[in-house]
Formats: sequence, C-alpha cells, structure tokens
Amino acid sequence: MKKHTIFSVLGLLVSASLVLAACATPAATTQAPANTQPPAPTSAPANTPVPEATTAPEPVTLKIYLLDYTPDTIAWLKSDINPAFEKAHPGVTVEITEGSWTGWDTTFSGFFAAGDGPDIINLGSEMNTLYGESLANMDEYLGEAAWPDIKNFGPALENAKYNGHLAGLPIFTAPRYVFCRTDLAKGTLPPQNFADWITFAKDNTVIDPATNALTQQALQPVDAGSMADWQWWLLVFYSLGGELYKADGSPNFDSPEALATTQFLLDMRQATYGPAADAVGALPAGQGSPIDVNDATSTDNGAVCLAHSGWAAPSFDRPIWDKVSIEPFYGDPANFPNSKPVVLAFNDWLAVADYSKHKDLAAEWLKAAFTKEANNKWNETMGLIPARNDSQYGFVTEKPQLQREAELASKYGVGFAGIEESAKLSTIMQDALGKLITEELTPEEVVAKIQADYTDALK
Amino acid sequence: MIRNPYINVTLVAGATVVFIILVSFALAALSRFIAKLMGATRTKQANTFAGYLFAAPWIVGFLIFVVVPMAFSLYWSFTDYRVTANAAPNVIGFDNYTRLLFNDSGFRASIVNTLFLTVVGLPVQIAVALFLAVLLNQKTRGERIFRMAFYLPVILGFNTAVLLCWRLMLNTGTGIINQLIRALSAAFPPFGYLNRAVIFVVEIVNAFFLGISNGKFSLLIKVWEAGFPAANRVPLWVQSPLWSKMSVVFLMAWGCGAMMLIFLAGLNNIPKELHEAAEVDGANGWKRFWMVSFPLLTPYIFYNLVIGLINSLQIFEPIYVLYRDNQPLVSSTISMVYYLWQASFSHFEIGYGSAISWLIFVMILLVTAIQFKMQDRWVTYDLY
Repeated sequence: MKKHTIFSVLGLLVSASLVLAACATPAATTQAPANTQPPAPTSAPANTPVPEATTAPEPVTLKIYLLDYTPDTIAWLKSDINPAFEKAHPGVTVEITEGSWTGWDTTFSGFFAAGDGPDIINLGSEMNTLYGESLANMDEYLGEAAWPDIKNFGPALENAKYNGHLAGLPIFTAPRYVFCRTDLAKGTLPPQNFADWITFAKDNTVIDPATNALTQQALQPVDAGSMADWQWWLLVFYSLGGELYKADGSPNFDSPEALATTQFLLDMRQATYGPAADAVGALPAGQGSPIDVNDATSTDNGAVCLAHSGWAAPSFDRPIWDKVSIEPFYGDPANFPNSKPVVLAFNDWLAVADYSKHKDLAAEWLKAAFTKEANNKWNETMGLIPARNDSQYGFVTEKPQLQREAELASKYGVGFAGIEESAKLSTIMQDALGKLITEELTPEEVVAKIQADYTDALK
Repeated sequence: MIRNPYINVTLVAGATVVFIILVSFALAALSRFIAKLMGATRTKQANTFAGYLFAAPWIVGFLIFVVVPMAFSLYWSFTDYRVTANAAPNVIGFDNYTRLLFNDSGFRASIVNTLFLTVVGLPVQIAVALFLAVLLNQKTRGERIFRMAFYLPVILGFNTAVLLCWRLMLNTGTGIINQLIRALSAAFPPFGYLNRAVIFVVEIVNAFFLGISNGKFSLLIKVWEAGFPAANRVPLWVQSPLWSKMSVVFLMAWGCGAMMLIFLAGLNNIPKELHEAAEVDGANGWKRFWMVSFPLLTPYIFYNLVIGLINSLQIFEPIYVLYRDNQPLVSSTISMVYYLWQASFSHFEIGYGSAISWLIFVMILLVTAIQFKMQDRWVTYDLY
C-alpha cells in the first residue's frame, strides 16, 4: 500500500509536470520578429537639445552589458555619462554589468533564450549576422533622420548593421597589424610576399637544442603555438584579394587564394617549428607583449614580429617602441595580382536587443555615449582608435603609434564582418587548420573539408 | 509591482518561499487523499501527510529544476530551436538524432575522445587511487596529513583557478613538470630512456586514436617514421594533439582522492585474521594483497568503476579550461559534453544540443546497466 501511494503520487506529479512543460510556450514566440518596424519613439528627435523636464512614467532601469572596457572606462561612464543621462531622464537608472570575453557566448545565449536581459549588449566584430535576428531595428532612433551625427561614423558602422538596418553603434576600430622589432630582425622588414616571409621565418627563428623549444620566434600570428588561428587565415586570404563568398553566396574555400593561404600557413609553421614530428616546444610565456622586453630579466620576450591587435602590442609608454615598426600584411603580389596590403579591422559595438522594452531610452544612452567627445574619451581609456572619424583627435594624433595605426586602418582596413554562421565557421576552420599543422591533412584536403562543412552549415 | 530591482528581488524570493510552502502542503494533502482512497487508516493517512510534507520541498525542487527542464529538453530535441533566431521552435522529428548518429563526424570524434579518456584515463585513475590507498593503509607517521594531502584535489575540484595553474605547470617550455623531467633525465640517464619510451608509446597510441577520429592514419605513419624520440624530447602537454588527452588523464589521476578514500574504507573493512592466516601460511605482501585484499575489494572497485565511468563520460571542465583558448587543439580532445556545450552555447543550436544530451544520457544508462548486469561475474560481497 505504501509503495502504491508513493508511486501514485510521484507518477501524478511527473505527469502533471510533463503536461505543463508541453503546453508552455517558449519565450521566443512572444517576441516580435527583429525586422518589423519598431513603434514610434516617444523621445524627442536627437537634433534638438535633450529636454530636461521629460519625466518617465515610472522608474526604469536601463541595463548595459559591457565586454570592451578598462577600469578607467567604467569610472568615466559612471562619473560623466551616466549621471548626465540620468539627470536628463528622471526616473531612469543606468546599470552597467562588467562582463568578460570568457564565456560571453554562454551568457548571451541565456539572455536570448529567456527573452530577458540587458537592453544594450556588447558584441564582437563579426557577430552582427550571428545575433542579427534577435537585435532591434534601430533605424528610427539612430538613422540619419533621427540623429545626423550617424554620418560621422566610418566604415565601422557596417559591423553594427543587420540586413541593412542599424542595430547599434561601433565603439572602436582595432585592426590587426604586423608589429616588428627592427633591432632583432634579420633581412628585409617587412617581408613583401610569401617567399620573403618563409625566408624571414627561417632566418629569425631560434630553437634551443637542449630543450627542443623556441627561444626566438620570427612571427607570432595571433596564436603563437599553432600559428593556425582562423583570423590569421582570413587576414592572409584577404591580402591575396580573396572573397569569402562567391557571387551566388556560396563559400569560396575552393578558390586558388584559399589554397595558397592554407599552404602559406603550413609553410610558415614548418619554417618556424619544423615538421610536426620534431615536436618543438613553443616560446615560453613572457611578461607583457611578446615583442617587449621582460623588465625583471632584461631579456626579450622572444617574438621578432607580432601579427595582432594593438592590445597585444606593448603599451604606448614603453621605451621599446623606438625599435618597433607597424605595417600592414602585404600579401603575395608576386603570385596574385589582386594582392593588397591589409589590416583586418575588428569593430566591436554596442547592440540593442530586440527583447528590450526600452529601445528609445537605449538609443538615447547610445547617443550620449557616442558623441564626438565621448567616443574619443571611451577609446582614450582603452588606447584604441575611435569608430567616429571626427573623434580621431587628441590622444590619437598625439601618440605616433596610434596615428600610424589610424592611417593604416583608413588606407588598408578590411572589416572582420559579414561572416555568415561565424561561430560554426570558426569551429570548422580551427578543426581543419589544427589537422593541417599536424600534417594529418594536406592543404588541398583542408580547403576541401572547410568548403564541404561550411556549405553544409549554411543550409 | 514596485520598479525597484532590490525590492523586486526580495519580493520574488518571499513569493518563492510561500509558493514552496503552499505546494508542499498541497502535495502532502494529495498524498493523504490518495492514501484515503486506497483505504488507509486515519493514523496511516496522518503519517503519509507528515512524511510527504517534509519531503515535499525537495520533491518540488526536483520537479521544477530537473523534471520540467528535462521535459523541455526532450521536446526541443525534436525541433530546430535556435536561440538567436527569434523564432518559435519548429518540430523536425528525428532529424537531429539521425544527423548525430549518421552524419556528424564531429560528434563521432567526440565519442572517440571520450572513449580514450574512459579506456585509458579511468583505469589509471583507479590504479593510482588503489596504490595510494594501499600505501595509506600502512600505519605510519603523518598518515592523516598524507590522507588530507591526497584528498585536497577533490576539495579544490576542477575549478577555473586550479585548472589555470595546471595550464602553467603543463607549459612545454617553462612548466614545472617538464623542467622536472629534463632535470631528472639529465641526472639519471635511465630515467631519460624511460621518458623517451613513454613519449613514443603515448604518441603512437594517441596518433592511432586520432586516426580513428579522422578516418586517416597519416599522423600515425609520420609518428612511426620519426622513430624513437630524441634525447631532448619532453611531452608537449598542452601544445600538441598527441598529448592533449594525456593532460586530461594526468588531471584525472591527480583528482583520484575520492576513489582513494573509498578504497581505504574497503581495506580497513578486511578482517585482520585473514591477513594473519595468510601470513602464517607463508604468503608474502604481494600474494596477500592479490589473493586476500583484492577479491574483497571488488565491491569498492565496482562502485568506483560505476561512478568513475559516469564522470568520465561526462567530462567537461578540464577540457574547457585547458583548451578553450587553444582552438586548434579542441578537436583532438573534445568530449561529448564539450561538443554538447559547443552546439548549444557556441553555435546556439539548442534543439541539436538537446538531442546530444539525450543521446549521452542513453549511452550512460546503457553502460551502467551493463556494468550492473556483469557484476555477478566478478564482484564478491562475501567475506568468507
């Protein structure tokens, strides 16, 4: 009898739960699709002064989730931008959450699965296509008719659009340059084609026979150990004039440029580490940037050249900058006539989520945080190039490194954007390139694999 | 409702507590009603009510946080639900399962990797735990300190801070483990030969498993052709796909403290008279262990095997922390649960990820059922 009672009760409860679960509607069905026109904004147009007397009907918290910041950025936002915004919008409190680039995807999927979360979220350069369907159409709030300032944003603005509609605003441009130690490099600097790069790698890499590990590495391209990061691959590919998609929208990994890029990555890796079977160890992690000097030991951190963003380079006050050149990646004009110098530009941005109930307020905050002066200040706290063209003054022109970076970005910048199913492409490419460097797959097999898997992923 | 986030949170927490109390009473009342329908006496009904009232908070939590999400997950596994699509899930039948079982080479590779960690890692973990337990069973000085030291990794767990320390220790060039290996190899040449032999065997075995994953054995051929490793070779722990899984096995062995305690309890339960009798009959230490202790430890081995198998089939954290920022190595070490995480939270395919989770559940259920079925053949519960 006791067993019967237990089983009966538990059985009833489990059945009830299953029925409730089956009948419950997921959060997604209650949200409007991202591409429908938003309701008319209730705030005043942006080209009139912000009215002081506007009173929100009830207390509101505007939530912002940031990933691109330093302590100085947060301090400035909390002391300057947020108080002014809250004063102009009585009843509105701005709440900033300081997130991390580790685990961001898991965090964001939680927001979108629940249909609730921060109103404004910080996205990476290539994420407009990934999240586009779940982002708000902000044309009515941030378009030129509503905010004439928008025309001061350069090409970085394309990263903040989905299907031609604005979804937010870009914060900065952080391109990938080739930084080189002029005092350490043997040979022509910078190398002007693939053959020169291979020779440079052989001449400037040192392996210690006692430890079978690198003590000097000619080039650290994003990931030092594998030298097979997908972003490095894309940088080289674009420098050959490669297009990621064909005219019909299908992937273009079966192109000559893709094969040449893959072969180059393998050649560079082997010119540095030798064949995979040699099992040479990577450069030990040093203090600070790989092209800097360790203050404690006064020895170089080991890299002659670094292909990465400015945040991997030494900070601007370091004396090493006297011996560092900043160049684009020049491609291989000897073999590919369409080659061009390239800096792959990452334009991180702030987007407004479609689930946000305060899109108008979000737009107002963005306008406040992205004025000419504010965009300059935000980037000054991070040492990066402002996305607004008219914000590139002050620290940008005072620091010769940033000035050089800004010049190269405007001349040779190629946006890291418009990549369909970017998360899947990253996984597919990293898997295939990982097998390239261990020689499990040949370059031809690698590009064929990527082409097949990516085509499948886009279906 | 008042639009203050802090008061909101307090009200929601209070409402949750009230909800749990009300549901507990409702559940208890329901159980009493069912008991009454089944003809129970008043006393029995009262006892049923009281019993379910106290158990109800856990039952309610179990239903809300386990059963309901499982039901959602089962439903989504038959849909193409994508979190970022901003659209309702679309039922696609068994397409997710078909794709997983027959068309997804990535999932198959994750099964092979998980199999490696289970077939190689779990026996190593159990062996190390048993060895430590036998050592600790000797009554020596400082036994409690050693016991705590060996159990400390279990308390620390595979959290991020610990695993980041391991990343530094496993660094090929500057990591302390390789520095120790180099120092010992230089000081004791036989150790150097042993090191090279271990490297050779490990790389051959891993290259074989990678070949099974990829369907190509070119790496195995290259490793074989490279021959016996040179004298200056050290393991490339977190740098090479030939060593990425071994790093995880290393961590599994390091975290064997819980198993060690189970074995220690088992060794303490063996009657001393059996060892004394064996000693009188002339059995040496090894024979006493193998003929007396080991058979009587089989229930504890069985327990550790079941728990260890479930854990190794669900391994995730060490791989995530060690290799998440080293993407080219992920495919050589990706486990089934890492693959599930990647599909659900990196590619945002919740439907597909749900199908993976149910497949993993069925696999673990089958393996555990087989283990329980086979225990009669080798597990001895009798003392005499």
